[in-house]
Amino acid sequence: MTTESTAPPAPAASAKRAGGARVGVQRFGTFLSGMIMPNIGAFIAWGLITAMFIPTGWFGAESPVAAWRWDYAPALGGGETPDGTTWTGLVGPMITYLLPILIAFMGGRLVYDTRGGVVGAISTVGVIVGTTIPMFLGAMIMGPLAAWLMKQVDKLWAGKIKPGFEMLVDNFSAGILAAALAVAGVFGFAPVVTALSNALEAAVDWLVGLGLLPLVSILVEPGKILFLNNAINHGVFTPIGTQQATEAGKSILFLVEANPGPGLGLLLAFMVFGVGMARASAPGAAVIQFLGGIHEIYFPYVLMKPALIVAVIAGGMTGVATNVVFESGLRAPASPGSIFAVLIQTANDSYLGVILSVILSATVSFVIASIILRASRKKDLEAGGGDLSAAVAQTEANKGKSSSVLGGLSEAEAAAQTTGAGAVTATATKPVHNVVFACDAGMGSSAMGASVLRNKVKKAGIDDVTVVNKSIANLDGTEDLIITHQDLTDRASQQVPGAVHVSVDNFMNSPKYDEVVEMLKKQSDS
Amino acid sequence: MTSQVLQLAQIRTEGEATTKLEAMREAHGILVDAGAVTAAYLPAMIEREESVSTYMGNFLAIPHGTNESKEAILKSALSFVRYAQPIDWDGNPVHFVVGIAGVENEHLDILSKIAIVFSDEDEVDALLKAGGPEEVLDILSEVNN
Repeated sequence: MTTESTAPPAPAASAKRAGGARVGVQRFGTFLSGMIMPNIGAFIAWGLITAMFIPTGWFGAESPVAAWRWDYAPALGGGETPDGTTWTGLVGPMITYLLPILIAFMGGRLVYDTRGGVVGAISTVGVIVGTTIPMFLGAMIMGPLAAWLMKQVDKLWAGKIKPGFEMLVDNFSAGILAAALAVAGVFGFAPVVTALSNALEAAVDWLVGLGLLPLVSILVEPGKILFLNNAINHGVFTPIGTQQATEAGKSILFLVEANPGPGLGLLLAFMVFGVGMARASAPGAAVIQFLGGIHEIYFPYVLMKPALIVAVIAGGMTGVATNVVFESGLRAPASPGSIFAVLIQTANDSYLGVILSVILSATVSFVIASIILRASRKKDLEAGGGDLSAAVAQTEANKGKSSSVLGGLSEAEAAAQTTGAGAVTATATKPVHNVVFACDAGMGSSAMGASVLRNKVKKAGIDDVTVVNKSIANLDGTEDLIITHQDLTDRASQQVPGAVHVSVDNFMNSPKYDEVVEMLKKQSDS
Repeated sequence: MTSQVLQLAQIRTEGEATTKLEAMREAHGILVDAGAVTAAYLPAMIEREESVSTYMGNFLAIPHGTNESKEAILKSALSFVRYAQPIDWDGNPVHFVVGIAGVENEHLDILSKIAIVFSDEDEVDALLKAGGPEEVLDILSEVNN
């Protein structure tokens, strides 16, 4: 494969309408956030382990606090323990494999449900093993792309498979496509990212050589967000910085990438002006980032709102410029880039400059990020918080208000669209692709209802929606819209609070079918 | 059309039952004769009916067992019985009782055809006028889905 399609295909493809560039960008952001946000917990887990157990971590062999140094930290952080055993540790495998694969899975799932997630995850392994750089960029492209390809491939024989052979065909087509994509990833994708990383390194090297240090942030910050920071750090800043430090006793280069200020400012802005889960998780992320020095924690927040890159670049430039003015620097690399490590390594004559550079960069990043977040806050709130988990949270808040009409509706829309007590909802906050009829056993009424609605959906020319039936016990939370007999709606909505629920009292010719079809039609037209 | 699930012998156009319970017995009897369910399936059908009525609309009811009663199903089969006099099904008039025994979704193909036929009132009229089991099967088979 090639890397021409750097944008995941789904959001781009669904933003059909002309003049919808802004909507397209917004959807792209929502898509990124849907891919990243559910995995924030994994980032935090990795960040905690890293901050504690890598050699320069709190319990590592080179811990800033000598009393906390623990001989067996390499068992968790990776490396060799005093008894001569070499350990893989948790840190490497998590950042190299787990986090990218989780992201690829979510990205694939957003495009093509669990099936897309599985294919996306498999394909991404190819991208990962092809290089030594953590493959987040690769995962964010490969996950959705592989799922989208799977969707196209499935369309080739949709409805043409003999009943009874669906599972066989499904499993083998997924396996074969994913295997091919994984191989393609190793040879086609990894070299591109490696080249990108090398180019970035060369460009930074050149700017440093010219002495245009503040401009370096324009390259460094995007590089960090794409998890290419280690290449820049180890390829440029550490060697040249170490050389300067031997001559002058300090180097400003150690602070270009390691300054925790820009990330802190960004996360503080999320704490104040963010919405949904991004806001709720920002304080914890700020602690890990600023005190623990794990900058990776804030990257997802930028990824879900790419405009924020401006904030961290400006923050980074401010920090570098401050250090240039005060001629301040560090004696050695601050790793991890926590405020403690930075202060410990600060040269004796540089405290004022270094501390100011952190404070000023955080302030600038905070102000700009706040402006960006505030500008889009209203839209984000309307869009269900700009991320999927916010939509879920919203639903939780709505729960108990109206059991038959709840689901991922925003209140405003519910008020505007509801035509009467208990009427079918007309708009869902997230696109509906997966309609499920549920009943107790999943073999009778739900099957018939699903057939009738499927027939209507097909006649209406809607082709991006599936209608299936399940027993309520088998509902697994992946459903977008759930239709049940009115007596069972309570049970179904307890099982899957995140879906839109519709009650019917007649499975054969409920007027609600037409409302649902109308809604799906509007969605596919827009 | 030949369907393993709905054979000609499982279709009756002159049902004998006059109450809901009798109609369920009649449906169960056909399913037992077809070798599809055991005797234990009838209590499950009644239990299912007590929790939520299987009245579907358009004169159709589809009695079947509960999620827990799937052990009583030996193979997938349907029964189809038409009643000239409507049966009182929880206050709704029912002319057609389709008993369902389904495992592994083998019955969904024919059931979805039945559903689409019954969602169209003209087709329901045609079923009411159908002369015999063959004609019923023809109407159900014509559906293109």
